[in-house]
Amino acid sequence: MASVKVTCEVVGEGIEECELSADAAYGDLLSELGLSRHEATVLVDGSPVPADATVAADTVRVLRLIRGG
Amino acid sequence: MHCDKCGGPAVTHLAYSGLHLCEGCFSQSVEKRVRRRVREDGLVPDDATPDDPDTWVIGLSGGKDSVVLTRILHDTFEQDPRIELVGLTIHEGIEGYRDASVDACRELAADLDLRHELVSYEKEFGVRMDDVAANDPEGMAPCAYCGVFRRDVLERYAEELAADKLLTGHNLDDEAQTALMNFLEGDPEQIAKHFDASLGGFDDAAGETGGAREEQDTFVPRAKPLRDVPEKEVALYAHLNDLPAHITECPHASEAYRGEIGDLLLKLEENHPGTRHSIMAGYERLAEAAADAFRGGADDLGECDRCGAPTDNDVCRKCYLVDAVGGDITAAPE
Repeated sequence: MASVKVTCEVVGEGIEECELSADAAYGDLLSELGLSRHEATVLVDGSPVPADATVAADTVRVLRLIRGG
Repeated sequence: MHCDKCGGPAVTHLAYSGLHLCEGCFSQSVEKRVRRRVREDGLVPDDATPDDPDTWVIGLSGGKDSVVLTRILHDTFEQDPRIELVGLTIHEGIEGYRDASVDACRELAADLDLRHELVSYEKEFGVRMDDVAANDPEGMAPCAYCGVFRRDVLERYAEELAADKLLTGHNLDDEAQTALMNFLEGDPEQIAKHFDASLGGFDDAAGETGGAREEQDTFVPRAKPLRDVPEKEVALYAHLNDLPAHITECPHASEAYRGEIGDLLLKLEENHPGTRHSIMAGYERLAEAAADAFRGGADDLGECDRCGAPTDNDVCRKCYLVDAVGGDITAAPE
């Protein structure tokens, strides 16, 4: 299956390149980065996107959640 | 992907309910859950009036949880003179970290025109957490000292501010972790205490949910109106509503066991969406049964020889620790 390359800016941590299958979802992208979909959100053009939506951007930002209030 | 409620662009998928929600419907959903918890727990007493309002002190750290809780409660009760809100912020003496979150608290309080009180470990006990963490005379995690000091300051200032309730921003992940930790530690008495301390409803809620707590004379009663909302959703709400939350982990954070339980819960949630909700639904019923079983036991607390706080020893844990770290409780202002 064809793959897609996505540039991910993990806010406050750095930039990583990920290679995913063409039908991968944003939740799979988070897994690739070692993050759970329950602790991080993917932002496309500044807006959060559902973790089960198919990846449709080649550049994203990833907002990590921090434990503790 | 579209919002299941209005058809707008979805910003999140709540796997445990299957719903996709847009920005507006998601925010409404979070607010609705907080208001439902306030109602079901009977937080607004029947006898609260504009002349004799119920005062709620909110532990406002400046992190996402307490900021979101404060904002939603403010918006809910802004026009209701039966409820008075006060934000209480504690500076633990953690340079950089807490300075930034105190700024977030001040900004929020100014935005909301909220009464805001700031206290510090340095003024209360003559200590700073940065020094406590560096010296560590008891060989404990920094959180173990800090938790004891924080509880003491919150309780004393809640009393001083004439609070009827002390509210904290614990979210669903926090509560599910605590539930699992209490269970794994094999401590039903702790589970019973958890129910009477913060999980059970107030008398006014009896009949609606059936789970009323036993009134406690010694402490201002606590409540956690954010405890139905998963941590990720709290953070997303803060982000979408542009709230001045300070999102950085405490440099001394060290609750290794809680972190391990948190990771386990996230893995379970990934494979079995709704695990945190079902843990809490079952745990609350068990906790109520445990509270019924253990109430009326020998929990007669005496007074600490030094500060007069309730304790079952001669000297309370807080005074013992303040002494151990070279602090002084007489540093506390009258």
